[in-house]
Amino acid sequence: MVITIAVALVVGTIVFTLFVRSQDVPEAAPVSPTAHLEERKSQVYENLRDLQFEFRLGKLSDADYQKTKLDLQRELARVLAEIDALKPAAPPAQQPLQQPVQAKAAAQAKAYVPPPASAASANGHTCPHCGSAFPQPMKFCGECGKAMA
Amino acid sequence: MENIGALSILLAFCLAVYAVIGSVIGKLKKNPFLVVSGERAVYSVWILLSVASGLLIYSLITGDFRLAYVAAHSDQTMPAIYKFTAWWGGQEGSLLLWAWLLATYSAVVVFTNRKKFRDMMPWVTAVLMTTLTFFLILIAFVLSPFGVLEAGRGNIVEGMGRGLNPLLQYWTMVIHPPMLYLGYVGFTVPFAFAMGSLITRQPGEAWIHTTRRWTIVTWLFQSTGILLGQGWAYAVLGWGGYWAWDPVENASLLPWITATAFLHSVMMQEKKGMMKVWNMVLISGTFFLCIFGTFLTRSGVVSSVHAFAQSPIGKYFVYFLAIGIAATLYMILDRMKYLKSEARLESVVSRESSFMFNNLILVASCFAVLWGTLFPVISEAVTGEKISVDAPFFNRINIPIGLGLMLLTGVGPLIAWRRSSVESLKRAFFWPSIAALVLMAALAVFGVYEHPYALVSFGLCMFVTATISSEFWKGSKAISAKSGVGLIPSAIELTHRNTRRYGGYLVHMGIVFMFIGYTGAAFNQDVTKEVAPGGSFQLGHYNLKVTNMQQGENDNYTWQKLSVEASRGSQTIGTLEPAKRFYKSSQQPTSEVAIRRRLNEDLYLNFAGVSNDNQRAVIQAYVFPLVSWVWIGYWVLAIGTLVCLIPSKVRLSYARTQVLGVAEKHAKVTK
Repeated sequence: MVITIAVALVVGTIVFTLFVRSQDVPEAAPVSPTAHLEERKSQVYENLRDLQFEFRLGKLSDADYQKTKLDLQRELARVLAEIDALKPAAPPAQQPLQQPVQAKAAAQAKAYVPPPASAASANGHTCPHCGSAFPQPMKFCGECGKAMA
Repeated sequence: MENIGALSILLAFCLAVYAVIGSVIGKLKKNPFLVVSGERAVYSVWILLSVASGLLIYSLITGDFRLAYVAAHSDQTMPAIYKFTAWWGGQEGSLLLWAWLLATYSAVVVFTNRKKFRDMMPWVTAVLMTTLTFFLILIAFVLSPFGVLEAGRGNIVEGMGRGLNPLLQYWTMVIHPPMLYLGYVGFTVPFAFAMGSLITRQPGEAWIHTTRRWTIVTWLFQSTGILLGQGWAYAVLGWGGYWAWDPVENASLLPWITATAFLHSVMMQEKKGMMKVWNMVLISGTFFLCIFGTFLTRSGVVSSVHAFAQSPIGKYFVYFLAIGIAATLYMILDRMKYLKSEARLESVVSRESSFMFNNLILVASCFAVLWGTLFPVISEAVTGEKISVDAPFFNRINIPIGLGLMLLTGVGPLIAWRRSSVESLKRAFFWPSIAALVLMAALAVFGVYEHPYALVSFGLCMFVTATISSEFWKGSKAISAKSGVGLIPSAIELTHRNTRRYGGYLVHMGIVFMFIGYTGAAFNQDVTKEVAPGGSFQLGHYNLKVTNMQQGENDNYTWQKLSVEASRGSQTIGTLEPAKRFYKSSQQPTSEVAIRRRLNEDLYLNFAGVSNDNQRAVIQAYVFPLVSWVWIGYWVLAIGTLVCLIPSKVRLSYARTQVLGVAEKHAKVTK
């Protein structure tokens, strides 16, 4: 009895471990090359939300709020530029191969200046990237996350 | 049966080694079959260790006293629950529990991530199985739980065992060791992911997001284990304390401290991409402190009230720790360029800097506790004389550190991320500071100034309570004003929006309650009296009268019990019945203390013995002010931690609201 159980245990676990069929190999979930940047983007959005909420609660002065908001918007622009630069479908004219991704993203982030409010009010209803429409003017698209202006 | 148990452990060891080799070679040679085979080895190891554990439990419950482990830790007269808990009542069984828990965690990790992180998972499996291999070496080749007694060896009467240590026959002891082990073992998982991330040079914080909930749950297990240990010490050991800075207690506290630091500093990495190296160091440190804690508990290298015997396994732990720490340090140094911060500290007056101070203080506390714990070993190595460091040293160091942490617990939520102006700080600090000062002044008037630490502690507890309350109040009011619902639904909505933050505040409130309980210890009162039945004595405002002394026995133990009537002034407030037991199998006495628990104070009676003439009972009586708040604090902490585990509302909906908010605000400003 003991020998039977012992043999069953040994054979069972070894067979289970070693005999792997091709259908047993799981199909790996697709990994986006921009996954870490998408994470970062979500985090910046969350930071913006936190900032807004803390401002409403009176934890920040108006000057602190404006300065921090600008920093976060710049960071968001940089992350979005990095995502764009990494996307394979981007047309060659917008993404020259000789330009390193990081350098391009840094240049875009540096060049980013938040558009004036009037522009945002005038053009901020429809996203130029994905076409989503919003009843109120917006700085960034609530659907695709890109700058509306 | 013992042969199958031993075979299962041996086979588990072989398969764990195979899992390490198969995963690494499969990854390096890009052979998915080998990688999957390595993962299947993890499941096999779990099955085998479950079989081994099941057989050991079966032997303990049925009383197979041929096994040395069963004979030493179980006996026929023990209740079934304690026969089961004898699984971890001794060295070999507890190492088997460690291994089984790690195998269970590993199987869960491999199963839940079988389609994700295909790049990283082979390394995660390898790290988990390397750790498990170490423990399997111990139970397969050094201390087998399935060793059989030689004929004539030991002093076991046939059909009987020595029984579980009577001190461990208490309800919190049923779950205290597994809870601590769930904590100790659980930190292997975030460590394995951290190493996997380092080895594969993963960009981003995937390892942190994946293991975030895991780390929180593990931390809760560890906290629960520590609190159950405190509850056990308080209710069983008979001296009325709940923490004695015993080396084994400290061993459980050390990884808890670094894990607490990690849970805070990891937010910096998630929010701003900062402190990546530090977080790697903290999670690695936590893992190695868990191994170190097991080493201290199980090797007998330092003397402890936990009274674990000297054992031959200490040197194996030293080798494992030395190799593991060296390999981890090499890996962190080698991958340093992938761990560069993406941002820098923008202002000293910011939430970030309060997190940094919090981390520095926690790590300082960890070093102080570690130094005090190891001092006997270090002093013996240097001077040849073993010098023990006792509770006053730890209290002298850790009370100011604890108060500093409490201050930061209050300050942190008041400061915004990135920067805060002086005006904002003045506004935020005004009312909490006033509340704290008013309370301190009132307490000083009532004489608490004689205990300056207690005065400061109560003041800081009030300060933190005020800041947390104001966070909930302001947030709920803002939501209520916008949505028109009541304050309580708004508070629930507020918490649901950011469960991690507001759950964290609840955890902080739990810590405040615990601090209130710990501070109460400054006002403890005690007296020891020999009293004959009918006699009485006074302690504080209590009059205690011994009305009766009884004795009896059952299969497991003989007992003596006192009936003590407690009254205050002319009013009788109840009868307490402290008892003594003498366990037959183990020939050990224990005290069954009687406690009258109230929110303001506990009345605690210990029946310490009988006088030489057998006529009078020796009673140790204590009054412990506020001690119930320690246990209340734990429940608040546990609820807060569970709230942290609830997913916050979907991020995208926040993003839309937020962006809309920015546009509106911007439009208003520029009108």
